[in-house]
Amino acid sequence: MTLSVVGYYEPWWIQIIKAIVIFAVALGILPLVIVYERKLIGRFQNRYGPNRVGPFGLLQPLAEIIKFATKEAFRPSTSVGVLFRLAPVISILTAVAAFALVPFGDVQHIFGTPVGLYGVDVSIGPLYLFAFGAVAFYGIMLGGWSSGSKYSFLGAMRGAAQLISYEVSQGLALVGVIFTAGTLSLTGIVHAQEGMWYVVPQFFGFLVFLIAGFAETNRAPFDLVEADAELVGGYFTEYGGTGWIAYMFAEYLNVLVVSGIVTTVFLGGWLLPFGIHPPGWVDPFVVLAKMFLIVTFFIWVRSTLPRLRYDQLMSFGWKILLPLATLNALVTAVLVVVTH
Amino acid sequence: MSAILFFIAAIGVIAGAIGVVTLSNPFYAVLSLVGHLLSLAVLFLLLRAEFVAAAQVVVYAGAVMVLYVFVVAYVGDEQQSLRSTLARRSRSRGADGRRPTGVLFAGALLVELLIALLGSGLKAVEGSGAPYAPGSRTFGTPAYIGNLLLTRFLLVFEVTSLLLLIAAVGGVVLARRRGGLDESVDIDYAPLAIPRPLGTGTMAEAVEGPSLAYAHAGVAEAGSPTESEHDGSGGGW
Repeated sequence: MTLSVVGYYEPWWIQIIKAIVIFAVALGILPLVIVYERKLIGRFQNRYGPNRVGPFGLLQPLAEIIKFATKEAFRPSTSVGVLFRLAPVISILTAVAAFALVPFGDVQHIFGTPVGLYGVDVSIGPLYLFAFGAVAFYGIMLGGWSSGSKYSFLGAMRGAAQLISYEVSQGLALVGVIFTAGTLSLTGIVHAQEGMWYVVPQFFGFLVFLIAGFAETNRAPFDLVEADAELVGGYFTEYGGTGWIAYMFAEYLNVLVVSGIVTTVFLGGWLLPFGIHPPGWVDPFVVLAKMFLIVTFFIWVRSTLPRLRYDQLMSFGWKILLPLATLNALVTAVLVVVTH
Repeated sequence: MSAILFFIAAIGVIAGAIGVVTLSNPFYAVLSLVGHLLSLAVLFLLLRAEFVAAAQVVVYAGAVMVLYVFVVAYVGDEQQSLRSTLARRSRSRGADGRRPTGVLFAGALLVELLIALLGSGLKAVEGSGAPYAPGSRTFGTPAYIGNLLLTRFLLVFEVTSLLLLIAAVGGVVLARRRGGLDESVDIDYAPLAIPRPLGTGTMAEAVEGPSLAYAHAGVAEAGSPTESEHDGSGGGW
């Protein structure tokens, strides 16, 4: 039931509806994630977190969005206007496009039409993710460069170096899974996990991918891009209002994408353990629950670990993570050849 | 639909390519090259070559151009535009034959491309391309390309990887620090002339590990107090 069944044959109107749904779901979950993170971090730090706006502070992100959207749009006199406005758009567009890859369920028949509960199920699978990750780099780089500020520029440079360094390990971590599953299609990878989730046989791949995911999304402890003690705000120092919130949304959306991919590739996607097969409409909720766990882990790590130094970041990425990922791919390749 | 996409992408490709050679600011020239490569990826997609399109974006727009953007953003300056630099160079060194050589190479490339293009008899214009067949092993999918690379094009593939390996080794050899900086241009940036304690993030530590950095710093032998930082300047960033 992969792309050979639906894939190209979904009617055009379903694809348009899917695009809208993905955008709506992505941008609808984000405020919830943000308020969840703030409340959870508050709890980790022995305080309440936001609790004034609405019941339990749930309307806090709404109030913040209104505040940011109504702020005056200004830019530094040294900035480059067009690129300055374009950069956050690149960031958020690539993040949403990457989110389209996360499969929330198998092909379902909705009103008699087969619909895959995912944006796209491409034959190139994870490469699609890395392609958009490569373009997302320009969102950070152009934002930092066009701001015309040293802090922004340094933040952008750090971000770029970090993204390149950890993208390699991230890609190699997935290679083991692809060897084992024998397919690049993400729904195919989920189906290949019917017996056992890949977090068990590919544990090192899982670890490497998760750690590299922290770096790719510029989250603590790898948030040197926006190290506030030394760089003010990193590449978005000069942004305010909608530009800033676009960058913020892109960052949290990338967290969602990484947790979605981890869920799909290592945690069995919409599959449940012990051979439980719920009806099809439960699948998206299973995926969301698993993503929720990983997002919680992200927040937990953020409030636990201190920020790394830049040289630690680089030597960790190149000297520990990359050899580990390579070794994992190599051993998996040998095992696959031997057992088949 | 695909015709519309083709013309948009084709215009992007050509405009990007023209931008690379005409824009005087190197940063914009590099960005224009990025636009060119992305449009090229769209053309690959229209040819059902999904894997090639993704590889194009990941490798060229992602990895290669990132380095270009890095260098140009660090070094490039609006006042020092490419054109004025080139003009100054050609004035100072005179006509050293680079321009005719460039024209010669461009002409050779043009002839090669024309041979390749006309040699196919422009048959592709008549055809409708690869069929739009879904499946995991049809034209343009990773499995198909992997099969071709490991059977029909195995020799070329291996030779190319060897070439890339040589290039990587060559890059490492060239980038390795030789001899160090000239003492006269070396500026001491340390505010105080005291040795920096270990574990405080010198680049020498990152590159060589704490023990080696310690030996390098020469603290025990009462060497130059800030030598570790000087060493570090060649280590990476």
